[in-house]
Parts: sequence; C-alpha cells; structure tokens
Amino acid sequence: MSAPHDELKVNAAGYVLGSLDADERRLFEAHLAECAECAAEVSSLRPIVGVLATAVPQVTPRAEVRARVLGRSASAVVPQRSVSWLPIAAAVVLAVGAAMYVARVQRQHADLQKQLAQAQAATAVLVAPDLARIDLQGQTAAPDAMARALWSRTRGLVFTVTNLPALPAGKVYQVWVVTAQAPVSAGLLVPDTSGGGTVYYMTPPDIAPPVAVAVTLESAGGVAAPTGDRYLVGAPVPGV
Amino acid sequence: MWLLAALARMGSALPSQSDDLECLRRLAAGDQGAAADLYDRHARPVYSLVLRIVGDESDAEDVLQEVFAQAFRQAARYDASRGAVVAWLFMMARSRSIDRIRSRRAHPESQRVESDPSIDALPGVSQDAAASMLDDEQARTVRRALGALPLIQRVAIELAYYEGLSHREIAERLEEPLGTVKTRIRLGLLKLRDVLSEGRP
Repeated sequence: MSAPHDELKVNAAGYVLGSLDADERRLFEAHLAECAECAAEVSSLRPIVGVLATAVPQVTPRAEVRARVLGRSASAVVPQRSVSWLPIAAAVVLAVGAAMYVARVQRQHADLQKQLAQAQAATAVLVAPDLARIDLQGQTAAPDAMARALWSRTRGLVFTVTNLPALPAGKVYQVWVVTAQAPVSAGLLVPDTSGGGTVYYMTPPDIAPPVAVAVTLESAGGVAAPTGDRYLVGAPVPGV
Repeated sequence: MWLLAALARMGSALPSQSDDLECLRRLAAGDQGAAADLYDRHARPVYSLVLRIVGDESDAEDVLQEVFAQAFRQAARYDASRGAVVAWLFMMARSRSIDRIRSRRAHPESQRVESDPSIDALPGVSQDAAASMLDDEQARTVRRALGALPLIQRVAIELAYYEGLSHREIAERLEEPLGTVKTRIRLGLLKLRDVLSEGRP
C-alpha cells in the first residue's frame, strides 16, 4: 500500500535536506522507486542543498587549527609551500589601491547581507531556549486580522501577520511590545498585497517582561508612543 | 571592472575536482603532504559552514578537526561516482555540526548562553571583510537567491539545513501544521532552484 503521489510529493525537499522522520523517509523512498516525477524533483534539488553550504559568511579558521588538524604541534614551523594562493592574490589586489572599489562592492553587498542576517536572526529566535509565544487578535478596525509573535529576550521578535487591511496613504503599521511601564516600539510593519508578512525585530535585551503585543496604525515613519487605532492585540500565552 | 574580471579569473583557477581526487589518491598512498593540500584547499569554506551551524568558534574548531580526520581516514574508500569531493566534505561537516548542536540541546546546562550565534555571526562582526568579497560567483548567486525568498520560507529552510531540525520539529516549533511547513520548504527550495538555474548561461 503506497500513499498517493499528491500526498507524498511534498516530501521531496525534506528528503534531500535529511529532515524527514525515519517512517516518512522509508515511505518516500519506496515512492521514489516508482515515481519518475518525484525522482526528477529530488535530483534537481540535490545540488541546491549542496550550494546552501556555501551561502554562509566566509571565515578563515585560526592558523593554530591547521597545525592541530595536520597533527603537528602549534609551535612547529608550518611549511608555507602549500599555503592557499587566494589570500595572497587578495593581498596583492588590495595593495594596488583597490580600497575604494572594495568599499563600493561591500556597500552593494550590505543590503543583501542585512536581509540574510535578518533570516539568520529570525531563525535564532525560533530555537531560543527562552522562546515565548503571543497570539494577537484582530480588533474592531480589522476583525479578520490575526498575528503571532515569537519572542526571545536575548534574540528578538519574529512577527507573522495575516489579513491586515491595505495601508492608507501616508500611514504605516507599528508593532509594540507593551510592558508594565510603557509600550516599546518593536518596529514598523508594511504588509504585502495580501495583508500578510513575517518580519524580524530586534528588541532591547533589558526590556521588562511584556504584558501584551499590539499593532497600531500610525503616520508614516512611525511614532515614539502609540496614538493610532489598535488593529491587533494579544497577551502572552502562559507557560509557553 | 578590472577587479571583477580578475576575480572571475581567480574563480576559474579554484582547485578542481580532478586535483581533489589526485589529493585523495596521494593521501591513500600515505603522502602526508596531501593532507596539508586538502586542508589548505577546503578548510575555509568547510569551517565557515561549521561555524554557521555550531555558532561557537571553539566548537567549530573541534568539528573542523573531526571532519578532516574523517576525510583523511576515509580517503582510500572515497567513491568518485558519489560526487564532488567538496560536497563530501560539506556533507560530513554538516552532519557532525548538527550532531554537536543536538548534543548541546540535549544537555542544556553545557550551553554557553553568553555567546549568541545570531550576534557573533552577523556580517561584519566575525568575518574577514576583504576575503568575503572573494567568494566565488556561485556563493554570491545563492545568497542573492536566498535573499529573494519570503522571510518565512528562508527561515524554514534555515531551520532545516543549518539547525538540523526535522520538518516535524519545525512544525512543533512554529505551531503550524506539518503539511504547511513541508509545502513552505519545498516551495522555497524549488524557487531557489529556479532562480539559480536562470542564472546559468
């Protein structure tokens, strides 16, 4: 008895990532043997998983590690013969006066780096040991809206929202972490065309325990303290 | 543009698969110099992946050492038909790194709370900026493609690939139906695939 293709095809990505449970994997492998479509998808996704390995900030290990790995003592002279040419070439390139060009290239990379850092920061929130969950309900201004905030004091806030009304001109949504003292702005929120989205906000690590999270409609650019209508409000779920 | 052209030439001069295979053959024959060659070629990208996953420099150095020790031991048994040597190194690196963070999660008392990987690994904090510019074209394309995915898809893919969570664990963590999580990860990977294959001439 094999489950139908439509039910199983969604497992292709998890299969190549190694993220399926043992039972799921066995089922999918059996299906793969008889389904050319899924087999083709798996082989087309394999290289993608391979390249994910390279999509990380590149860092050179300390020189001492080389000696450890190669079984030599750190004090031994490391032969220079086989040192990678790449850093040497880089040094030459930089030395001939490319510093300004380097700065420009780095600026172009900065936006992208920021986006990727955001995803990485959001990921860190979701695996945080101090993760708290806050579900928000739509208020009178937006009864269909729903949102969930996942918050870690040390790592920040991941905020997912659906069904927010389109923004009026000159307005923006603002997300607030409400503490016993005062609401603290987490950041601005511009939903996509369907009124949804997921955003990551850094929150101050010394913030008081939140009693609620809220979303208000404010003037473009945001405000220091909430003034506009509340669109979403929610309190922390106890014990989560 | 001369710098970009120079970088492109460097990229094409990167160590090739046939050099890697030759290296493994020499290793299997007991040539100690081959170990140094393999390390010098691949230590940086492998270490970067390990550090991204384990988030701690000293753990990353231990794992890097384990990965190369395993590679040196198994060089003779390496089967070239399984794919590129560098992919084999990445596979070992990811699997050992995930083992490391899983055992850390299982023993939370040994967790180093003060070193927050999300902060340490932020660009500009721990990376060598000049060298990061020299990433090969593929890495740049992948980062661009990842950057174009909706945040929620990127996060799900990152949880699976870099945090080693199963789909079920991700679903529990996000309190979402398992099917939603699976679909999201699949759509994200398919989109990555499409963007990356468009980028090829």
